[in-house]
Amino acid sequence: MTVATLRRATVLERSAPMRTAVELVLHEPEAAVAAKPGQFFQLGVDAQHTLLRRPYSIAWANPDLGRIGFIFSVVGAGSAWLGAREAGQPVELLGPLGNGFATPGPDRTAVCIAGGLGIAAFVGLVKGRDRLGRRTVVLLGARSSDWLLPADRLRGAEVRVATDDGSAGHTGRVTALLPRALHDDVELFMCGPNEMLLAVVRSCRELGFPLERVQVALETPMGCGIGTCLGCALPARGGGYLLACQDGPCVTADRLDWDRMDGI
Amino acid sequence: MVASGTFGYGFDAPQVDRSALGAMVTKGTTRAARTGNPPVRIAETASGMLNAIGLQNPGVDYVAQTYAPQWVEWDLPVIVNIAGESIEDYVEVARRLDGRPGVAGIELNISCPNVEAGLQFGVDARLAAQVTEAVRAATEMPLMVKLTPNVTDLVGIARAIEAAGADSISAVNTYLGMSIDVARRRPALANGLGGLSGPAIKPLALRAVWEVASAVEIPIVGVGGIFTAEDALEFLLAGAAAVQLGTVNYVRPDAARLVRDGIVAFAADSGLPDLGDIALRPRRKAVHV
Repeated sequence: MTVATLRRATVLERSAPMRTAVELVLHEPEAAVAAKPGQFFQLGVDAQHTLLRRPYSIAWANPDLGRIGFIFSVVGAGSAWLGAREAGQPVELLGPLGNGFATPGPDRTAVCIAGGLGIAAFVGLVKGRDRLGRRTVVLLGARSSDWLLPADRLRGAEVRVATDDGSAGHTGRVTALLPRALHDDVELFMCGPNEMLLAVVRSCRELGFPLERVQVALETPMGCGIGTCLGCALPARGGGYLLACQDGPCVTADRLDWDRMDGI
Repeated sequence: MVASGTFGYGFDAPQVDRSALGAMVTKGTTRAARTGNPPVRIAETASGMLNAIGLQNPGVDYVAQTYAPQWVEWDLPVIVNIAGESIEDYVEVARRLDGRPGVAGIELNISCPNVEAGLQFGVDARLAAQVTEAVRAATEMPLMVKLTPNVTDLVGIARAIEAAGADSISAVNTYLGMSIDVARRRPALANGLGGLSGPAIKPLALRAVWEVASAVEIPIVGVGGIFTAEDALEFLLAGAAAVQLGTVNYVRPDAARLVRDGIVAFAADSGLPDLGDIALRPRRKAVHV
């Protein structure tokens, strides 16, 4: 069980890695040491009329410098407030929370398939594998090139791109890039909109790629982040529900009931 | 105390200092385990949140056998919130908890639909009294009944519950509401409707406590949108003998300590030795403690 800790972090810098997203770099040394790729924090928001914290996955953490990076797009009042934080201002963090990615063996290739801002969950994973000299392939899909995290943020990985409008890479869905990437030595990681996750699962089934070797970083509306509100339930294989905050956010895809995931 | 459904069974938030609490009320517990509603289960609204969790819980036997023995070790009274679809359900859940070490009392959630009657127990004075009376007969433990505010005659229902033998009343449960996802043109919650909680309902809950407190003699526990010590003091001034913190626990795991410290500081500053006695309107003499 994660021991949730309230921490006061300070904004070191805010930037826009691409036109459609904000990157917030926070200073909180203990959290930077504790944070593992795939885990998340609940970020405190003080915007008018908002209530809950915002659950953001860790984009990357640098324990040596005590830094944590979050990459997100502004979609509502909470993300707008966070996206307007400036250097020197405090941000309250609860976490790190949940289970991060399971680390594949040294001889495995990690294939990370991301839709839109789902790529944020993989920045630290790619960096860590690059440091260890391990092979990583990133399949990055977005509606247009405006939404693509620049490839230099994914150094060390082979990045293959797909856009809906053809403004970069393959024209069409990112799942079209899957068949060529799924080899016997692959561990697949996925993060993105529900429709993309469903499409990846369909492809894996068609290609005979076992869902036990697919790790998904779950994203869903969340209340507390620590397992008490039961608000972030997602359908589990065999009946009942998993909690994204406590059982995830990273789980192997075989643990979910994808028929019931459809339409959520 | 912490309100039902906002603290699980007390095992999910180990960083919370339980010594800041007067009591813990558990997640709603039913006769059989329930898996709960399909997602999406929660939605944030202006200064509030909607939930339709669907009483996900492991069932009373699991609670009695696995959780209660652990609560015995805690220096904190644990009140188990119970729910059911029939009077027989409620009675059976209460019976299985009665006298169980680690269980300090029962809070009756009467906001559940009665399958036979087709409406919630808590919206009808006669049904509310029937279920209270039946559970009263099944247990000698302290019995608190939680009012649903989605009614016309809250005071009448409170009086009926008092007459049926409740030791105290918690007021109030969530307000029925909804939110619609415009982009997807469908309700934000899979269940359609949900219970609204948080600061958005505080003035409404306060009014409920204000009215019920002057109508019954048993103690009232105020609940609804309390986020700060000042909020809690408003409820005490309105006639509540104690308060429950709910949604704030999702936002601030240290909320109970902050609110308690604020109340203690207020008492010291204002020179009031007994905050149980600060109601603006005199309560009738309480017969139970």
